[in-house]
Amino acid sequence: MHATDVFGEYGQANARRVGSPRWFALALFLLTWPWASAAAHDQLTIGIVQFPPALNPDLEAVAAKSYVLGFALRPFTTFDASWKPVCLLCTELPTFENGRAVKTELPGGKTGIDLTYTIRPDATWADGVPVTTDDVKFTYEFGRNKESAVASAEMYREILGIDVKDDKTFTLHWDRLSYNYAAIDDFVLLPAHLERQAFTDPAQYKVRTLYATDPTNAGLYNGPYRIAEFASGSHIVLEPNPHWAGAPPYFKRITIRAIENTAALEANLLSGTIDMIAGEIGLPLDEALAFAQRHGGDYNIIYKPGLTFEHVDCNLDNPVLADRRVREALLVGLDRATLVKTLFAGKQAAADSFVEPLDAGYTDDVPKYPYDPARAKQLLEDAGWHAQSDGTRKNADGKSLSFELTTTAGNRSRELVEQILQSQWKEIGVDIRIHNEPARVLFGETLPHRHFDLAMYAWLSAPENSPRSIFRSDEVPTESNNYAGQNLTDYKNPEMDRLIDALEVELDAGKRKALWAEAQKLYATDLPSLPLYFRSDAFILPKWLTGVQPTGNQSPTTLWSTDWGEKQ
Amino acid sequence: MRLPALLLAVIAVGSLAGPGVAYMMGVDPTMIDLLHRSAGPSMTHPLGTDELGRDMLLRLMEGGRISLTIGIAAAIAAAAVGTAVGLCAGYLGGWTDRVLMRLTDGVIALPLLPLLIVLAALDLHKIGISRGFADSPGMSLVRIVVLAVLVVWTTAARLVRGATLVTKSRDFVRAAQSLGAGVPHILWRHILPNVMAPLVVATTLSVGDIILLESVLSFLGLGVQPPLASWGSMLSNAEELITSSPLLAVYPGTMIFLTVIACNLLGDALLQRFDPRDPGRG
Amino acid sequence: MIRFTAIRLIEIAAMLVLMSFVIYALIGLMPGDPIDLMLGADPHLTSADVARLKVLYGVDRPLIERYFAWAQAAFHGNLGYSRLFLTPVAAALPPRLGNSLILMGSSFVIAFAASLGLGVAAARRPRSRIDGAINLACFAGVSMPTFWLALILILVFAEGLGWLPASGTGGGESGDLAERLRHLVLPVTTLAIASIGGYTRYIRAAMRDALGQDHIRTARAKGASEARVVWRHALRSAMVPVATILALSFGALVSGALVTEEMFAYPGMGKLIFDAVMGNDYNLALAALLLASAVTMLGNLAADLAYAWLDPRVSYR
Repeated sequence: MHATDVFGEYGQANARRVGSPRWFALALFLLTWPWASAAAHDQLTIGIVQFPPALNPDLEAVAAKSYVLGFALRPFTTFDASWKPVCLLCTELPTFENGRAVKTELPGGKTGIDLTYTIRPDATWADGVPVTTDDVKFTYEFGRNKESAVASAEMYREILGIDVKDDKTFTLHWDRLSYNYAAIDDFVLLPAHLERQAFTDPAQYKVRTLYATDPTNAGLYNGPYRIAEFASGSHIVLEPNPHWAGAPPYFKRITIRAIENTAALEANLLSGTIDMIAGEIGLPLDEALAFAQRHGGDYNIIYKPGLTFEHVDCNLDNPVLADRRVREALLVGLDRATLVKTLFAGKQAAADSFVEPLDAGYTDDVPKYPYDPARAKQLLEDAGWHAQSDGTRKNADGKSLSFELTTTAGNRSRELVEQILQSQWKEIGVDIRIHNEPARVLFGETLPHRHFDLAMYAWLSAPENSPRSIFRSDEVPTESNNYAGQNLTDYKNPEMDRLIDALEVELDAGKRKALWAEAQKLYATDLPSLPLYFRSDAFILPKWLTGVQPTGNQSPTTLWSTDWGEKQ
Repeated sequence: MRLPALLLAVIAVGSLAGPGVAYMMGVDPTMIDLLHRSAGPSMTHPLGTDELGRDMLLRLMEGGRISLTIGIAAAIAAAAVGTAVGLCAGYLGGWTDRVLMRLTDGVIALPLLPLLIVLAALDLHKIGISRGFADSPGMSLVRIVVLAVLVVWTTAARLVRGATLVTKSRDFVRAAQSLGAGVPHILWRHILPNVMAPLVVATTLSVGDIILLESVLSFLGLGVQPPLASWGSMLSNAEELITSSPLLAVYPGTMIFLTVIACNLLGDALLQRFDPRDPGRG
Repeated sequence: MIRFTAIRLIEIAAMLVLMSFVIYALIGLMPGDPIDLMLGADPHLTSADVARLKVLYGVDRPLIERYFAWAQAAFHGNLGYSRLFLTPVAAALPPRLGNSLILMGSSFVIAFAASLGLGVAAARRPRSRIDGAINLACFAGVSMPTFWLALILILVFAEGLGWLPASGTGGGESGDLAERLRHLVLPVTTLAIASIGGYTRYIRAAMRDALGQDHIRTARAKGASEARVVWRHALRSAMVPVATILALSFGALVSGALVTEEMFAYPGMGKLIFDAVMGNDYNLALAALLLASAVTMLGNLAADLAYAWLDPRVSYR
């Protein structure tokens, strides 16, 4: 393409400058080349598309924040790249075998569990103060306080109490026993010796927390890095934690820059201002693919499917959509295979059910719906929607087969997919009106109030995360329950309820897998929503960077920054 | 003067001819062809295809229809609103003038972009517009026109007020007043015709500004909604693909550039025509 | 004159009060709240958590009540806390304001100086090729969307040639003056190109007007050099429109340039206002918007006073 020749490859700009005699350029190139390849990269600059809000780990759940904090703060446990829970801040995971997990009988006949954790002996805050159970007690106190604006209050409510054995060991008393009992990712410690002061008035904590007023205070961080500079809205600089006792991190300085405009982000990468683009909060996949087409050879691009399930919710209150044949017609009328191949170069696999292939509960044995427009048309005819001469369909009452399709406005990838959906459904006689709304409107009002026909958005989940809030019949948001719950389709199936309740307490992995399989089969049979695909993240890394391993789940790659290094 | 007018006419006619050309080419402008995305020029697609495989030429024409409609409709509406305000303020004077002018100043002083964002995100259902109408694709166009009018009307208002003040003191107006003519009559028959010249110039210039405003709204995600396309939304969508398919951006970008510069040149030429002594923008 | 100024200042104050209510109401009319977006980011969050957080952030109280609480506090000088930055508004504004003043100030100075030169050059040679070329260039500069212009500059100078950085301010602990200047070049150029067109035509018109007046002919007849005629006599007459440009650009110094700041990841007031509005950060949004409006209106007042001072024929009763 002529236009791109003008821009050329950055690395060769020197050699191609107009007017230079070739030999001179060649000599220059040869002279600088050894230097260039031997130049140590002891610094790393990362580009992301959104600047995180103030870095307190327990207020406000935002992806950019957990990415940055992955360098600097250790949660107790997390899910690694093989989707198993691992200990980061603790010494070992509690199991029944090692005695750290003990079932308890609670009043009312419920079963709870006591979990004993030991903080790693070498865990230290970056100002030299060791991480102790004092921090655990403080964090628990903070989490239980109704006025503290903690984000995941649910977890703290489930912890009935804490027993402290010594400086490093403590026991959590949970009010329920669920299968993923050992993973306490959300329990991120706050440094008591610094934050207790700010907590004297709990309601004011969110503005007095040192994470907001003094973000470069070393004592706030206990990971391999600490925050050295925090320029709000612009960039964050991380430097190694002098008191870190684990494997020493390779990079002496990591700068994270937020560039919201994706075209500008790409340009920054190509011009060398940034070295890499984070996959967790970086380019949308189709843009990354377009980038790879042009410049893929100069970078190491890793595509990792994640736990973001893109789907189309069908509002079952709409009598037309309540007819299962219509929903199946919509699904088989979609050529998802071609969509995924052409739009996403096959890097996002079409989904058949709501569980991700890497997840422990995944099964392939579900009803499948390959592209079959003839069948779709037949289903619609059977459902009473007769084809008219102009390509639309009407039923016996003269009503047209028409739906409104809603998704987040301004999201280019979704808009592209929407138009494809509209076009393919037009072929089988379904008229689609596109109506997009800004994300805050969609998630704030339209979806909870269920003012939609078809809504395309994504569910975020964690490994083996129970689908309670999206499928259970009592989780439908209505006016009476103040719009709580995420069962937006109004899907009510007692069998699904039973499966959810059963798998949440099933400790035997094999039996649980069977329950998961049944749930997926049921979903694929009932089709309350139309599965599209699991979104992939694209990590665009320089060729000299090693050790970055995307997990595919919500744990950011930055939690393993001590593995990152430079190719020698 | 002739050149910009001719250019604009060509663009306008070209855009309107879209459906006809589609018929002649035998191509469906909305048909998505995933297997031929961002293709180069060919026999079936003279300008290539866009990111979903739709014919680029037809998309450009549709974009032109939408962009020009928004530009012209908003310009005329803004002129109408501004004229009404300016006439009242200039002719009636006194408190009316003060209030209206302070209102105008307030609107000018406000950094409008953030508030446009708010207005674009406004829930129309809350202010009583029926659900059926509020969700139709036509509504997104109306919304953008209203936003553009809110930004642009102040120029016309100030201009008309200034011209009214000058005209109001002229003899023929006084004569009409002393003969007992009513205010509306005077405004319509006597003042308005003398205000037309700078108003026409300003309105012509504002068409270009509105087209640019629409492209910024698209950049912020508040422009026309798919599957409708305007040059502004095509340009901001293509921005992200600039390194892989630059033509997708070059076409709408060029069209915006040509149209806006033609509007500006035309406005300038009109200004020269009406007031040769003052060749700059007033 | 004093009376005039005093009345205008009172009117400005009244306008600001009215605007504060309108802005508060408009932000409040936006459905949803950024807290709702948290549901999409954390799989363990429930709708009950969202409801609880809304109460804690005070988002659930009626709009009027919140407005009066804000107004009362603001009247006593307490601008409140910024929800986005979790710092007092008075601490969140100054750094961004400083960045904007630098960016907008530099681009204004450069654009103005350039347009002065171009406008005068065009006015001195009416209807010549130079005049036509300058005219066309002016129109070209204002006929492109800013984000497009910014992207082209980034692609050519940062990515293609590698001469200049593509984003940021070059500030912080690691930055020095040279770095900051390097980072300013592209954004300033973008803004300057966008405004030179308008300024040049304004100055050109005013200069042509001025050059055609009697006292200029007199000066020429008296044998004054062309340079003296232009720069001393004509420019003084052209001062009124020039003063207008200066005064009207005041507001932009403080309200920033959203699109340019976003493209260059330059943390200025434009982006701040946008983020504050979108983030339902009432305190910050109101403080920033009212500041920008106040400065603009004061600029208008200054322009009007300048007219009176420069042109004795104009008087205000």
